[in-house]
Amino acid sequence: MSTVNLSDSKGMRKRTHVRMFWTDWLIYVLLFLFAVVTFYQLWYVIIGSFSNGQQYASGGVFLWAEGFTFANYEVIFRDMQFWTAFRNSVLRTVTGVVTELLFTALVAYAMTSKYLRCKNAYYWIFIFTMFFSGGIVPMYLLLRVIGLYDSFWVYILPSVFSVYNMLIVSNFYKGIPDSLYEAAELDGAGELRIWALIYMPLSKPVLATVALWIAVDHWNSYMGTMLYTEAGEWTITLQFYLKHLINEASSNSGAEYSDQVTARTVSYAGIIVALIPIMCFYPFIQKHFTKGIMIGSLKG
Amino acid sequence: MENRLFQKKRKKWNARNWTVFVVATFGLVYILLFHYVPMVGLLLGFKDADYSPNLLGTLLFGEWVGFEHFTAFLQDVNFWNVMSNTLIVNLIMLLLNFPAPILFALLLNEVKHKSYKKGIHVVTTFPQFISWAIYGGIIIALTDQTTGIMNPLLELVGLSSEENPIYLMGADYIWAVIILSSILKGVGWGAIVYMAAIASIDVQLYEAAELDGITRWQKAIYITLPSIASTITVFLLLNIGRLLSNSFEQFNSLQNSVNLSRSEVLATYIYNLSFSAQRFGYATAIGFFNSCISLILLIVSNFISKKTTGRGLF
Repeated sequence: MSTVNLSDSKGMRKRTHVRMFWTDWLIYVLLFLFAVVTFYQLWYVIIGSFSNGQQYASGGVFLWAEGFTFANYEVIFRDMQFWTAFRNSVLRTVTGVVTELLFTALVAYAMTSKYLRCKNAYYWIFIFTMFFSGGIVPMYLLLRVIGLYDSFWVYILPSVFSVYNMLIVSNFYKGIPDSLYEAAELDGAGELRIWALIYMPLSKPVLATVALWIAVDHWNSYMGTMLYTEAGEWTITLQFYLKHLINEASSNSGAEYSDQVTARTVSYAGIIVALIPIMCFYPFIQKHFTKGIMIGSLKG
Repeated sequence: MENRLFQKKRKKWNARNWTVFVVATFGLVYILLFHYVPMVGLLLGFKDADYSPNLLGTLLFGEWVGFEHFTAFLQDVNFWNVMSNTLIVNLIMLLLNFPAPILFALLLNEVKHKSYKKGIHVVTTFPQFISWAIYGGIIIALTDQTTGIMNPLLELVGLSSEENPIYLMGADYIWAVIILSSILKGVGWGAIVYMAAIASIDVQLYEAAELDGITRWQKAIYITLPSIASTITVFLLLNIGRLLSNSFEQFNSLQNSVNLSRSEVLATYIYNLSFSAQRFGYATAIGFFNSCISLILLIVSNFISKKTTGRGLF
């Protein structure tokens, strides 16, 4: 059992022999089955998206596509609304990440500064909003009154500052040695300069993590589109578009686009296209998120 | 002491004080605008705001109705249905979905090959990054009566038949679908925080226990679990605070007209009332009721946890 020491295996080239008991095999198999089930869900949609709509409708798919075709993707790519929704989602994600990251990190800096008076009052006012909110109707009313309703900025402005992310970033700032700050202070650098030139570069790991969380949230959200927009030219998002495609497909699964394609198989192609950016970023996200969670959990 | 504190306060503000003050106040103004101003909007729950075309006017000058919306909710024909759906699904989730990532982390911790551990974790975490709009679509596809994969599988174990396929998205099975789908989607991600906690346990604890000839089962029960107890407590408290809340996106994407009687929970009910039925005052009141109960649950469970285990959120 002492060979299981994962934490200090680094640097030890010698392969220690791992003894496997039957309980080990049981655990390995259980975990493997679970991973297979998880992966299969995705696989099913992938092969569905490459299937001939008619053949799919007569009995579904199992391990491989039925009547392999790219027709479903052609239908998706020819749909102008898809590209509008795609553009909005990309714009929203990029703008959202940049603005929220900068603003949240800046406030986090102020919240860790020893020069901030009444820090506790700020903290409590911020933290209360994590546990209590006005709900959807008052928010709807506010967005109407300030003119954000059905505007692209409804996705950006209301989430430009996140208390939770601020706590995580400021937690990381607290770990940056005071000596760095003091040296810069002696040199006469102002607070904003110290933040931009010392704190920001040093906190790349946490910023990357938080940026990825924000990006995934923006990319995946569709509730905002439903509640606070009319899903028009500049407000329809990819997830909202897909939601409609899926609804349409499941309500009248007999609907046909052509002899090759049904609403069902087209919706699978849409799902896969929307997942591609996430799949591309996933290895990168994967590298960072454990670190981010550890930083977050230190908060306790 | 008193004197020193006093002197400190009288110190003049320098440029650094001003800079951080302005920045923090920007954040404060933002929070006031987007979080506290809507709380003022909760007053709509006490006003005659249903079907109102001009909500702002109603909020400012509308007629007060007191607690009418709240008493109406208690007598609502849907009250018991919505409340029991919300509570039962959340209680089952507390029993199954909350411990699932802990169990998963413990199992992963037993894996001796680092790359196998990593591979399993990479695959099982991926669904967390899929939106509910899409994941709901995947679930609908898999459970379809004619083209889905679930019915053939259930036939294999004799739970379904080709002539009479089970409609898993129907009212009878929707709870199982909701609960299982959120386990499948969230377990890998949920386990990360426990894996991080396990990784920080002092190895010497295990080594000392091994000298005493402890079994692997005892190790998990007597060393690993107690060592991550504080992490578990934090997440348990947060979960209890969410007993009346559901993921709106999950329920909205799995809901259909057939399973509505079992899948209508507070989150979706409030949405349907306000945006389909235009009953703004009533919906706001229910939302307010929901938020208050959630806050009370969190405070009470935090209090109990602090008294009994000495651990809490705040």
